[in-house]
Amino acid sequence: MDTSNPAVFVNGELLPKFIGKKVRTVVQVNKCDGVVTAAKSTDDQELTVNGLPQVPLMNFVEVIGIAETNRSINAEIWTDFGTTFDTNSYNRLCQLANGEFRNLFL
Amino acid sequence: MSVNLTANAIPSIIGGDVNSKPLVQVLDLSLISSSSNSQQQRYRMLLSDAVSSHQAMLATQLNDRVRTNRVKKGSVVQLLEYICSPLQNRKIIVVLNMETIIPDCEIIGNPKPFGESNLPTQKTSPDKVVQTSSRGHNNNQQQTSQTGHAAQSFRPIVQPAYQPPPVYKNRGAIVKNEAPARIIPIAALNPYQGRWAIKARVTAKGDLRRYNNARGDGKVFSFDLLDSDGGEIRVTCFNAVVDRFYNAIQVGKVYTISKGSLKPAQKNFNHLKNDWEIVLDSNSNVELCPDEDDSIPKQQFSFRPIIDLENVDNNAILDVIGVVISVNPSVPILRKNGMETQRRILNIKDSSGRSVELTLWGEFCNREGQKLQEMADAGSFPIVAVKAGKVNDFSGKSIGTISTTQLSINPDLPEAHTLREWFDRVGKDSVSRSISKDVLPGGPKNEIRKTVSQIKDEGLGRSDKPDWITVRATISFIKTDTFCYTACPLMVGDRQCSKKVTRVGDARWQCDRCNQEFEECDYRYLLQAQIVDHTGITWVTAFQEAGEEIMEYPAKELYLLKYEEQDDDKFGKIIKSSLFNHFVFRLKIKEELYGDEQRVKVTVVKADKVNYSSESRYMLESISKFCRQ
Repeated sequence: MDTSNPAVFVNGELLPKFIGKKVRTVVQVNKCDGVVTAAKSTDDQELTVNGLPQVPLMNFVEVIGIAETNRSINAEIWTDFGTTFDTNSYNRLCQLANGEFRNLFL
Repeated sequence: MSVNLTANAIPSIIGGDVNSKPLVQVLDLSLISSSSNSQQQRYRMLLSDAVSSHQAMLATQLNDRVRTNRVKKGSVVQLLEYICSPLQNRKIIVVLNMETIIPDCEIIGNPKPFGESNLPTQKTSPDKVVQTSSRGHNNNQQQTSQTGHAAQSFRPIVQPAYQPPPVYKNRGAIVKNEAPARIIPIAALNPYQGRWAIKARVTAKGDLRRYNNARGDGKVFSFDLLDSDGGEIRVTCFNAVVDRFYNAIQVGKVYTISKGSLKPAQKNFNHLKNDWEIVLDSNSNVELCPDEDDSIPKQQFSFRPIIDLENVDNNAILDVIGVVISVNPSVPILRKNGMETQRRILNIKDSSGRSVELTLWGEFCNREGQKLQEMADAGSFPIVAVKAGKVNDFSGKSIGTISTTQLSINPDLPEAHTLREWFDRVGKDSVSRSISKDVLPGGPKNEIRKTVSQIKDEGLGRSDKPDWITVRATISFIKTDTFCYTACPLMVGDRQCSKKVTRVGDARWQCDRCNQEFEECDYRYLLQAQIVDHTGITWVTAFQEAGEEIMEYPAKELYLLKYEEQDDDKFGKIIKSSLFNHFVFRLKIKEELYGDEQRVKVTVVKADKVNYSSESRYMLESISKFCRQ
């Protein structure tokens, strides 16, 4: 496993803190036209993902890429997680990974 | 070492002097076992001033001085606070506070029991003389009357059968001590206390009740007191006494109470931590203390986490605090006695990961219930503290109010603040399982989560009853030489017999329980496997149901695959595919005798596939709990 370039676990609230950095997040796809995707983060914020191909609507996708702005990510790697996903737990993970347990992650 | 005990200490105490601080010696020390309550241990002492000795009782708050050997036989002590109570026709010294000066000392002097040698012997003889003469007189009279009249006539003559109480010559005139009694802590109250006074706040006031029993009609009301040491006691008034005090007593106010009697507490109704209760009578004194005494708390709670309630007995009375997550409207309920009352159901949750139904009855629905409804409708999640709620185990466990219950909304208590912080940070979104709802089929009710290492570390399975726990772990090894046994296929009632059957001849089987022979037997799992988690590894045994959950293959087919078809390849593949699967195991742990030694046996009762969502939630809760420590 290549750990040389770790990605930070983010949700909508944390994304602005890592602009220009490599981040990873799970979002639910709302609109997808093959170039720009509108998606909802695990803390119910609207985000934009660039570079996602056609993904079934309402599916959960994990996106790893560089945070472009405080609301968008340029996707490098993406994985379809399917239709069910526990957004609550993932959201808590993001909070803990960047909060008191940050030193366990980066 | 020689020490001078206070001269004449004993006679002065008996004489009523309770203000000097005499030096006396403990000649004897013994424990009085109380027949009614083994917790109420009392020590009796024989105190001496080197010349006289006398019985004394040690106040229970000093009991640990005896237990820690600071006071023992021979100890020389200085009495700091003590009283002298009349008990029957003797006097008993009660020691409320003392200081040990010399813990070990030889008996000083040659003390004699005080009082007995003082009985004036000269006095008894004239009494006796009086008695015999009067008796003689009687006989004469009776004889004359009998001879005179046929009918019997009795001349009632009082003959004292006892000696008059001895008079102590070496005391002066006895003056009744009218000074106000000293305030003592509620915890020190007992029936042997001569004169006492307590200062406490009323924490609860019961309703005025009328009753009718063999002695006639009556009325009664009770109120609860709390003092600055945290001691609590119930006070009851009957009939005329009710009229005196009912209106005067108000919740929250502080009163000084004296001259009541101490009776054993009625544990059915009185849930306070005190073996005694006070009954006031016409001599009792109740005075309002107008100045605000901040040293006395307004109320005392001992909250239990909701998760503990799952194991509490039905009808237990306890305190609980939680955040109100739902409030239902009041509904009228017809009670058993035909009366209609109101009921409201609330749900509260706390940081133990559980929620519980709180049922409000009667006035609670309209008062606190209405307020909580309004607050919930406005979107806030108020905190409610329940004092003296009753546990009901009708469907799961729930808490209901009783007449002595007290509810506080958003109380100013440290527990409430901690709960509020927890709720705002984590609790709002955390999932709490309700202990009040009916169990979903297949869902475990009393889930105690443990790790593999805790089985050994905590010595689970060693008590009389087996321990049931839930562990999330991975199968790391499955013993393949014997993974099943030959079982009886016959039905006993609606269940399969399943007893191990023995071979008879070449191709037949016999079951000892069913007493039958048959051709085909069943094969049931008897898996020996190892499960491992991040803390350790342990052997477990899994029977048929759990075995099938783990192997995902029927035992009989697996047996046939290995022994009949001898397809080692396929067999190996199936075994391999069951290794390193993650399960949430329900384990039964019990120590059993294997030959000569006691071994702890772990049985898998159920092997559930891991529900990642709920496991994640469980782990998040554990993380929050971990952080709070």
